[in-house]
Amino acid sequence: MKIGFIGLGIMGRPMAQNLLRGGHQVTVWARRAESMQPLLAAGAVGAASAAEAARGAELVISMVADAPDVAEVMRAVASAASPGLVAVDMSTIAPAAARRIGEELAAAGVDFLDAPVSGGEVGAIAGSLSIMAGGSAAAFARALPALQCLGRNIIHVGGSGAGQVTKAANQIVTGMGVLAVAEAMAFASKNGVDRARVREALLGGFASSKILENHGQRMIERNFKPGFKSWMHEKDLDIVMQTAHELGLCLPGAAATAQMFNAMVGSGLGEEDSIAVLKLLEGLSGQ
Amino acid sequence: MNIGFIGLGAMGRPMARHLQAAGHALHVWARRPASVEDLPAVVWATPAEVGAACEVVFTMVTSSADVEAVALGEHGLIEGMAAGSLLIDCSTIAPEAARRIAGRLGERGIDMLDAPVSGGPQGAIDATLAIMVGGAAAALERARPLLEKLGQRIVHVGPNGAGQVAKACNQIIMVAAIEAAAEALHLSSAAGVDGGKVRQALAGGSAASRVLEVMGKRMVERDFAAGIEARLHHKDLGLVLAAARQSGVPMPLTASVAQQLNALMALGLGKNDTAALWCVLEAK
Repeated sequence: MKIGFIGLGIMGRPMAQNLLRGGHQVTVWARRAESMQPLLAAGAVGAASAAEAARGAELVISMVADAPDVAEVMRAVASAASPGLVAVDMSTIAPAAARRIGEELAAAGVDFLDAPVSGGEVGAIAGSLSIMAGGSAAAFARALPALQCLGRNIIHVGGSGAGQVTKAANQIVTGMGVLAVAEAMAFASKNGVDRARVREALLGGFASSKILENHGQRMIERNFKPGFKSWMHEKDLDIVMQTAHELGLCLPGAAATAQMFNAMVGSGLGEEDSIAVLKLLEGLSGQ
Repeated sequence: MNIGFIGLGAMGRPMARHLQAAGHALHVWARRPASVEDLPAVVWATPAEVGAACEVVFTMVTSSADVEAVALGEHGLIEGMAAGSLLIDCSTIAPEAARRIAGRLGERGIDMLDAPVSGGPQGAIDATLAIMVGGAAAALERARPLLEKLGQRIVHVGPNGAGQVAKACNQIIMVAAIEAAAEALHLSSAAGVDGGKVRQALAGGSAASRVLEVMGKRMVERDFAAGIEARLHHKDLGLVLAAARQSGVPMPLTASVAQQLNALMALGLGKNDTAALWCVLEAK
């Protein structure tokens, strides 16, 4: 398939590489030209603009930072789109923003999918991302062969915006999950009990989770390298809280968690992994 | 003096009337012209026309976007106001929006003060508002005789945006106090104790506050007519938390209170007084 790929950051670069490995013809564009180099070396074609990356493509994928970036890139894509183009945004943005962009593209004759991912850099490299898609079933069917190069758990959740709603729900669970595990760790050690033993015991019961397993282990090792940077998690929780505010939705747990992430960024821990929330808790409890 | 007033709602209307009663000529514009038909004022077709006719213009609207549209939008005040004229924005908006608007007006030599108020519709009617001002001291001195017709406590907090920061602080304390009063009175009624008596007892001690006095009374009497509409506090706490996020300042209590307000909105109580936070506690 002829695929345009826009945005070659920590996530986008290995994703584009996996598309090449899957036998697709990939044209790439990134704001910083040097980030295109590794892809060009691997056989991708370089484009001079987002519009050029879209020209002649059957599928365009974007992986950028924020809703305004997605809107800007997708406008350029629409201006150069061939008939029948499917545009897939895999960034994490607000559901309302995704719906707006979807409507704008529909008016330009382009099918849009919001398809954010979970699984981080590790999942992007391994091609094992979870992909949660919103948009028409027909567009999803056309994008699926490409998405299968990027992830394993690929779910068409519903109409436009449904992918971003799912991602926001994912961030509620992971945000509160990381905080819950960190609190359990702080609780154990303040009581003079070994954290590793507690984790091991909990993994056998109802408190068992991927977060206890992976993030819990890194907390015990005090390995705060990202992973998933806490400022990005904070940004995602802000999307959750903004949406809750707009809808009249009471999310007390997520709100408390968002404030802890807010404090993390304010304390200069934004570039560390989300598990650095443990440091904050330890500081508050004199540990 | 020719004075413009835009935003003639529950707050703006009595404020405009006080200015008029002090002998000033009132010029207005309203999105729905019918809403100002009964006012003895010159009604203009656009904010720009109001701006061109006045030395001082007041705005008292809902959101940052509303102030931006009225001040800087098409046919906005900026197109009509002369250099040396003064905009006094009494709306509650984001500090950063106030700074941006003041900057744009400043390029044309138009002064601006952010002058949000506290005291609610009753304070507006009684001309007892607290007014927290951001902007140049000279601009405030020009505005002071007018502001004194609207309120008693006029504090120059700092440069543009500082008034809105003070207002955000006001909302943090006030809305949390309303939630605290609601929780306290809810507990007392669940324990079979007369809330009215509790309120009366507390009024003499360290928990005494204006909120307990005014909102507490509404709760005890189950009279939830606004007052200050809860949807406005909902909006304001959204601004506060956005500012907290920008500064990386954690606000666990405000965030929690904001969730109670989200629940209040979901219950369809946004047009009630914020004392209706009590109803959210009962709804569970």
